[in-house]
Amino acid sequence: MEYGADEVLETAVEAGHILLENGAEIFRVEETMKRISRHFGVDEGHKDFFVLTTAIFATGGAGDAKYATVRPSPVRSAHLNRVEAINQLSREIEQGEYTLPEVRERLREIKRMGGFTPALKIFSAGVGAAAFSCMFGGGFLDAAAAFFAGLILYVFMLFVAERHLTKITGNLFGAAIVTVVSIICYKAGFGHSLSHMIIGSIIPLVPGLNFTNGIRDIADGDYISGSVRLLDAILVFLSIAIGVGLVLTIYRHIWGGTLL
Amino acid sequence: MSGFLLHFVAAALGTVAFALIFDVPAKYFPLCALIGGSGFFLSEYLATLDLSVTEATFFATALVMLTSRFAAVFMRCPVTVFLVAGIIPLVPGAGIYWTAYYLVMGDTSLALSNGFAAIRAAVAIVLGIVLVFELPNKLFLIAGRRGGK
Repeated sequence: MEYGADEVLETAVEAGHILLENGAEIFRVEETMKRISRHFGVDEGHKDFFVLTTAIFATGGAGDAKYATVRPSPVRSAHLNRVEAINQLSREIEQGEYTLPEVRERLREIKRMGGFTPALKIFSAGVGAAAFSCMFGGGFLDAAAAFFAGLILYVFMLFVAERHLTKITGNLFGAAIVTVVSIICYKAGFGHSLSHMIIGSIIPLVPGLNFTNGIRDIADGDYISGSVRLLDAILVFLSIAIGVGLVLTIYRHIWGGTLL
Repeated sequence: MSGFLLHFVAAALGTVAFALIFDVPAKYFPLCALIGGSGFFLSEYLATLDLSVTEATFFATALVMLTSRFAAVFMRCPVTVFLVAGIIPLVPGAGIYWTAYYLVMGDTSLALSNGFAAIRAAVAIVLGIVLVFELPNKLFLIAGRRGGK
């Protein structure tokens, strides 16, 4: 089974691209691309990969089978099921279970792989918000209000923020909406602690993936990618704080006095 | 004690909820729940033992990272699957809120102390992840001794 270096590298880059887009660490992206190309006969020295958080650069091959590409890979919403599927695929490739066209076919399938439905994710955001409200000391009604705020938040995030807004404004407005909903619940006498409603329901915005991946990229020595991810996480944290702060400021001007 | 149990269940539930949002395949949910729940439980328990929140967060993160690595080797999947949702209960989300809250209330010193507490917790998470990350993979292979290799 001999394949041209260009075909092999293209397949490897495609696998790397799917990994990067769906929230894998830089180390895993590079490792997977190396494994795939090594298995199909493109050895070290005949290829070069350079992976950043936002793009893959690859060159290699020789003669008629030269290959060079730059694949921008913006990190959108993470689909860890795709990361997991490619991880599985790469192990199976090493065990010699696939030919190159089969790998491509499998990659096409993984790329189209759906996850949980939006409805289920919205419900989950509600459950998560309620759970966190409870963990940080909120009562039953506070958790119920957080559940409600979490639902509204995620409808906004999935259908408005992800499609039309930048990350900063999306998270800022998301946090603001959550705070407004919590205040309405609180004013209506539903729940006792405004703070615990808000704390629970902003948690779905917390950038868990970029935060942990950023740390791990830096631990791997991928400083540029790690810094980009951590910066992303810090900006989101700040946007959340500003969104909450803005609404609380307005609230305070209208009703005055202390909150809680 | 029942408070601990309630919080363990809440943390487990919260972790699974976030795993679902990140499209983690459902077969990993039980382990996600266990990892997230026990991480939060440890941080709360240590906080009752006169450890600071920072220290408690550090040990809890180390536990989450350790169990995630074992789980990843055992289930043969990327560690991210467990780590991302499992770490969220430890992320200082409440700290961010209190910082914003006291800033709005004009209480700068409380805003600062809450802000710094959040940053310290974040640093503790970084240390916890990095430290366990550096442990050699061989340590975790014990868990992977099923079905060869």
